[in-house]
Amino acid sequence: MKVKVVTRILEANDRIAVENRRLFNDAGVYVINLMSAPGAGKTSFIEQTISEICRGGKKLYRKLSIGVIEGDIAGTDDAQRIERLGIPVVQINTGSACHLDANMVNEVIVDLPLNDLNLLIVENVGNLVCPAEFKIGEDMKAMILSITEGDDKPLKYPLMFQESSALILNKIDLLPYTNVDIEKIKKDSLSLNKSLKIFEVSCKTGEGIAEWIEWLQSLVT
Amino acid sequence: MHEVSIALSLLDIAKRYCDREGYKGIESIGVKIGKASGVMSEALLFAFDAVKIDTIAEKAHLIIDEIPVSGFCSTCNNNFSVEETYVLCCPRCGDISFRLETGRELDIYEMEVF
Repeated sequence: MKVKVVTRILEANDRIAVENRRLFNDAGVYVINLMSAPGAGKTSFIEQTISEICRGGKKLYRKLSIGVIEGDIAGTDDAQRIERLGIPVVQINTGSACHLDANMVNEVIVDLPLNDLNLLIVENVGNLVCPAEFKIGEDMKAMILSITEGDDKPLKYPLMFQESSALILNKIDLLPYTNVDIEKIKKDSLSLNKSLKIFEVSCKTGEGIAEWIEWLQSLVT
Repeated sequence: MHEVSIALSLLDIAKRYCDREGYKGIESIGVKIGKASGVMSEALLFAFDAVKIDTIAEKAHLIIDEIPVSGFCSTCNNNFSVEETYVLCCPRCGDISFRLETGRELDIYEMEVF
């Protein structure tokens, strides 16, 4: 017997994502789902963001209280790097899954001091494809593309560029040593998503990080 | 690459439906997969066959209806449908202010149950 069952396949994930979002909103926490290919500099970017907020032991951006969820297939290296900076952090190991989903995030929310935070950065598993498909309860998706990955990436991996609100172009200190056309990256990214906010940064020199944090401040109430 | 997660979600929805409505098994599941959904049909079929073992859908086959990418361009007032996976600009006037109408589907539309 044929029956009509009209359901979104990711309905279960979306339902949990809505619940996560409600928990975050109730606690007044703005959540960023940070995605990129492996090695683009997600953890370094989070470290730089935290260091800039608390430069020289002085909190320059008093409004921001940050927490981090680290998503990796295996290992706790990334969480340890964040923990050293004195920031609340939880590590999720996905085992074999190539992305975080709403349920994985739901299970660790209880381990974060949500009421003491107003900004949560969730570092997704390094992958330029799958993480873009799964909502985790975020307010905003942001992605990093390191310029050494090449200027062809926006058109080869369009979904993540379309889904993200912010594009961070990392490793711009390496620009003189490559043939990468950064204007092409920006033009193609904007043709995929005209409201994309683009930041040019170097986690090595710290260039551009302050502009990013200024923008973060404007999002967090 | 994430087709296994999609296949598991599919099974979960199908199983919960059968439990609720009192069906014993599933013969087929019909799904609509948009060409811009990021899911490869071949990989989804493969993943589904792997995860259905020892479940209520053990004998079920997956029927995939691939939905092409289509949209509407407000600049040239044009409805379009393309063969490509992604559309970067209106195929007629080249403007980027268009709205995708189909192509991102990831839906179950029917099941054959007993």
